[in-house]
Amino acid sequence: MEKRWNRGGNVNVKEFNVIVAGVGGQGILFTTNVIARAALKLGLNFAQSEVHGLSQRYGSIRTELRIGEDVSSPLILEGTLDLLIALEPLEGLRQAPYISERTTVIMNDHIIPPIGAYLDRFSIPSFDEVLELMKSLSPREIITIDAYKIAKEAGDYITANTVMLGAAQASGILPFPEGVLRETLEEVSPPKYRDLNLRAFDLGREAVVLPR
Amino acid sequence: MLHGVPFMGDLLAPPNTLEVLLGNEAIARGALESGLNVAAAYPGTPSTEIGEALSKVAKKVGIYFEWSANEKVATEVAMGAAWSGLRSLTMMKHVGFNVASDAIFTLTYAGVTGAMVIVSADDPHAHSSQNEQDNRHYAEAAGLPMLEPYNPQEAKDYTKDAFEISAKYKIPVLVRTTTRINHQRAPVLLGEITAGPAKGEFEPPEPDRYLQVGKIARKHHHELLSKLKDIQMELAGTYARIEGPTDAEFGIITSGVAYAHAKESLRLVGIDAKVLKLGMTHPLPERTIGEFLSSVNAVMIVEELDPYLEMRIKAIAKDYAPDVEILGKLTGHMPRVGEYTMRTVLEGLSKATGVAPPVNFTEIDGRSAKILERIPPRPPVLCPACPHRSTGYALRRAAGRAAFMGDIGCYALLFEKPFRVEHVTHAMGSSIGLANGINISTERDTVALIGDSTFFHAGIPALINAVHNKRKMLVLIMDNRITAMTGHQPHPGTEFNAVGEEVPAIDIEKIVRSMGIDFVRVIDPYDHAETEKVIREALKRDGVSVIIAKRECALLTVGRLRREGKKIVPYRIDPEKCTYCRVCINTFACPAFVDTGKLVEIDPTVCFGCGACVQVCPYDAIEPQEGSLNWRKDGIGVGM
Repeated sequence: MEKRWNRGGNVNVKEFNVIVAGVGGQGILFTTNVIARAALKLGLNFAQSEVHGLSQRYGSIRTELRIGEDVSSPLILEGTLDLLIALEPLEGLRQAPYISERTTVIMNDHIIPPIGAYLDRFSIPSFDEVLELMKSLSPREIITIDAYKIAKEAGDYITANTVMLGAAQASGILPFPEGVLRETLEEVSPPKYRDLNLRAFDLGREAVVLPR
Repeated sequence: MLHGVPFMGDLLAPPNTLEVLLGNEAIARGALESGLNVAAAYPGTPSTEIGEALSKVAKKVGIYFEWSANEKVATEVAMGAAWSGLRSLTMMKHVGFNVASDAIFTLTYAGVTGAMVIVSADDPHAHSSQNEQDNRHYAEAAGLPMLEPYNPQEAKDYTKDAFEISAKYKIPVLVRTTTRINHQRAPVLLGEITAGPAKGEFEPPEPDRYLQVGKIARKHHHELLSKLKDIQMELAGTYARIEGPTDAEFGIITSGVAYAHAKESLRLVGIDAKVLKLGMTHPLPERTIGEFLSSVNAVMIVEELDPYLEMRIKAIAKDYAPDVEILGKLTGHMPRVGEYTMRTVLEGLSKATGVAPPVNFTEIDGRSAKILERIPPRPPVLCPACPHRSTGYALRRAAGRAAFMGDIGCYALLFEKPFRVEHVTHAMGSSIGLANGINISTERDTVALIGDSTFFHAGIPALINAVHNKRKMLVLIMDNRITAMTGHQPHPGTEFNAVGEEVPAIDIEKIVRSMGIDFVRVIDPYDHAETEKVIREALKRDGVSVIIAKRECALLTVGRLRREGKKIVPYRIDPEKCTYCRVCINTFACPAFVDTGKLVEIDPTVCFGCGACVQVCPYDAIEPQEGSLNWRKDGIGVGM
């Protein structure tokens, strides 16, 4: 696919669409906000949509971020997603209408089954099945990460979202020059969690081995 | 990152800088750039963050901010300020406007001596609401000038304009927003903050200014209509903008976030069309619209929810361009339900012009449907450790056959399996009011479930009504010591107010007892056996009985434990003792339970370590680990 953005610079981004999906409590807003703040730093236009209220934990949560000079709608058009960061695999797959041949997927491999599925006797797909289904949507490389394990290595499993941010950086798909995302993360982290977050980010970045 | 750390834009960032602001924060900043003195609101999604933002900077800037008991009181607080020559703001979700409307409909007759802005946050798609009502109708019905921004930058700018219009014409002004404006984050260029403390004078400009009766009201009604006429002539057109090729024969008229979708959709399909974007949608710029209509053959109206613009544009067309084709909801080109996206607009354009959308929606729907049917739905659930889960569990066991009147709050989720102890979720305070009616009309045991904040908001009059009219019912007040669902705002029952000052906490038990109700029990819902016993006892009583299930929102408890440096150690299920009977899942349904197909386990990344589930297992298989707390036995979360 033709790249419409300039990966190394901070100009000429027409449209770059990101979804961060997961379950409430995984730090989805924080993750998206770090990317949005990085875009601001680079002088890029963007619009981000989020939904607040009701069920603070373990509901289905997603944010949409659209970066680029052509952007005015805060909602992504079906089939035009560029980057999916799935903090939870089922929630990643739930974004199916947006995923297409232009989508790079970065997916945490830890499934959090919805409790209602047990009550409805719904058979929950395994991670391998999720991966297969995901592959049927996008021919691109799907980056899978054991974000909880890496987060625990960094010091606390709650940094799984920052691990995913590091992986997003390593994927090279973001229209940001190297370093900007990490710098932004450093700035926006509360001092108490700064080192922890940066450690998680670096481990996430190292965990991604890109095919040469 | 740690759970629950709010990520807010810097509301006090210096002027002439770009700051990432949520639409709601942009509205708050706009008010701060407009000399705001007083703001008051009751929280409600999607409006809440306007107040959240103001509450955090109120002391620094020197303005007065309060979370009020309900939207009507908040409106009256703001009116009091605007009648004392100050600048005030109130904001509410769309249904909150219904509560405030009694005061607002007469406020427009009275006008203001300072300035007053009202923000309505509508919720197309009912993301977090009980309906999709379109509050643009209120502008016309009450006589409020209305501005509709399309993005956060415009939300800030229009808020400022609204204050200026209000001050100039002595009229309250409505800023009407929708979820995708309120909860959109984008770069916003900032101006100078001019808000600050002030004392005014309450001196009615004329002796009858605020006395709306008969003859006086009629006089003020004339005056209101004349103000609106002036605003229409002098201002409405200045908020209208025409974009695109002037010679285009196809036009689009739009406002709010729908404009953003329309603008990009046109770019994507490359249709030769011009766009009339309206910023002031009451009163409407009739001449601008009329001339636009005269310049095209056909026009499509792109607006969410009701055909508010469409109906009025049809009326304008009668005078200006009777032959122009008007496409929209009434012609079936655009939907009336749900929120709009680019897809909605592209499909509408496709129907109207025959131009195919740039993506194949049919193909996308087909391939997504196959994927989506393999993924279990994930509706909102009560958090791990939520006290409402325990209350719902006990209520199901003790009163399974009762008629359950629910209310507005997280506990509305108790309608779900396995609890099913909500037959009704309606409007703020409706649980007790409806329990009155159901008890009069049926023989069924009647239970009303209401939260603490909702009780203060609209539950008290209905409870008084029940006592006065000798009804029989159980009222279960689920007191989690905060307004939880909207993100933890204080209410009259908390020991602190919106700006963190200590205030006297109003005691729900004392209020209830003062009504002469003699069966009043305060229980810790985590004590399942006791809760069940008290519910059974209450249901045997004649008259009104009240149980206050008092335990703070689990997220408050977890937050405090973390701040105190205590470790959250999850519980575990002993695989030797677990018989895979699934009673825990089938009756208690904590999201931390994992069904492996052979056993039930506890996901340590989800469990908050409260220990409430221990009582649920018939085989005593759920047990603490080294360092686990037991919130009930250790008295954690009930100390207030």
